[in-house]
This record gives sequence, C-alpha cells and structure tokens, in this order.
Amino acid sequence: MRRQYSIPERLGGFGIAVAGAAAVWPAFTAGTGLGLPCPLRWMTGIPCPFCGLTTAAVDLAHGRLLASLADNPAALALAILTVVTVPLIVLRQLGLAATPVPWSARTRRRTQVAAIAAAAASWLFQLHRFGFV
Amino acid sequence: MNYASWIQRVGATIVDAIPFAILAGIGGAADSDMGAVFWIFYLIGVVYLIFNRWYLGGQGATIGKKALGLRLIGEQSGQPIGTAMAFVRDICHFVDSIICYIGYLFPLWDAKRQTIADKIVKTVVIKAA
Repeated sequence: MRRQYSIPERLGGFGIAVAGAAAVWPAFTAGTGLGLPCPLRWMTGIPCPFCGLTTAAVDLAHGRLLASLADNPAALALAILTVVTVPLIVLRQLGLAATPVPWSARTRRRTQVAAIAAAAASWLFQLHRFGFV
Repeated sequence: MNYASWIQRVGATIVDAIPFAILAGIGGAADSDMGAVFWIFYLIGVVYLIFNRWYLGGQGATIGKKALGLRLIGEQSGQPIGTAMAFVRDICHFVDSIICYIGYLFPLWDAKRQTIADKIVKTVVIKAA
C-alpha cells in the first residue's frame, strides 16, 4: 500500500501542529487552568521520555532555543524534521513530487530501533533532569 | 480503505470539544464560585459529551466527525459500532493516555491510522464517501 506521505513527512506535519499549539499554549493554560500532565510522573513521580516536551515546544516557539534544549532536545529535533519535510509535503500537494517509495523491511526495522534508542536516550535525559540519575 | 488522517481526527476532536467548552465557559462566567449554576452548566456539558461521543459516535459519527466528513466503523463489519462499543472504545483511550499520550499519535505512522483504543476494539476512522 503506497502512502500519500511518508512517515517523516507526517511527523513533519505533526511538527507544524505542535508549533501552532505551542504558540498559544501559555495563553490557553493561563485562561483555562488546563494542562497536559505526564501520567507516569503524576502516578509515580518518575518522568517519562517525553516529559518537558510541552515546555520545550513553547520555549522553541517563543525563540528560547537554549531553554528548549534544556527541557527536552526532542522538540528541536522535531522542529528540524518539520523544516526538512515541509517543502517535500508542499511539492507532493502540488503534484510536483511522486508518492513516496515504501521503505524496505530492513530500513523499517532499523528506523524502529533508532526510534527506541532515541526514546531511551530521552528518558535518561529526563531522569537526569529531574535528579534521578 | 480511505483512512482519516491524524490532523483530520484532531480537527474532529476540537469541533467536538467546542460545545462543552462553551457550556463550561458560560457556567464559569455565570458562577465563578462554582456553585449550583456552574454545576448545572457543567452537567449539561457532560450530557452533551455522552450523547455526542457514545450515541452519535456509535451511530457512525460525532458532530466533529460529521463536520470533517469522517466516519467511525468496525474494522471487520464496516458498520457503526453502536453506543455500547463507543463507550468501551472511550474507556480504551485510557491506554492511549497512560503511555504519555503516545497512543493518540499512532495514526501518524500506523498503516490503518488507528489509535491503540481503535486496535483494541477493532475500529477505524475513515473519510466518508
């Protein structure tokens, strides 16, 4: 089954949504009192690999690069992916780029391993950030 | 099958949330001390959520999904899943949430654009013809 957009492109599209949400997040939380608590940290006190992403995204959306990196470097990684993939998405929308070629099983497997490794690294980062290691 | 994209599903969820947000906002504005008036509006909002997500959703599309031209159907049957299963599906969204909400991002890379809740109750969200 050929996908219209590759997974990195879809993640790039997700990055656009995150950028938009991050721009208005402070006003939203201030106005409603709502937030996005980490279930793991809420229940156990231990941060998850994705803790700090909301704060990091808000920092990045407001130009605070170093603060964003200190919260969670994955936000910057997503931003880079977004910048790289958005032109490709535009080209596909305009019909100027062919539908993406499916990855081989080996490439998919390697990508899954890389994603798990990145999540593990992020978890270590958050555990260190919260003083657990 | 023409599966709904992640952003379409997010859009539908936002549209679904608007009436509840309006009701809660009116209740909060009318009664900032969270007295009886606030709770009346809040309960009306909860009734709306139940009607929208479980009854209408069980019929195939919540208000939000209808607005975006989406349908919720059983993966095997191709038919709406009914009120009871729509309720069960919402309970299963607990799994999507408990892993730091990553379950809600599954439609970004899943072949059938399913959340974990969708996989548990075997549903898919498609673009209505």
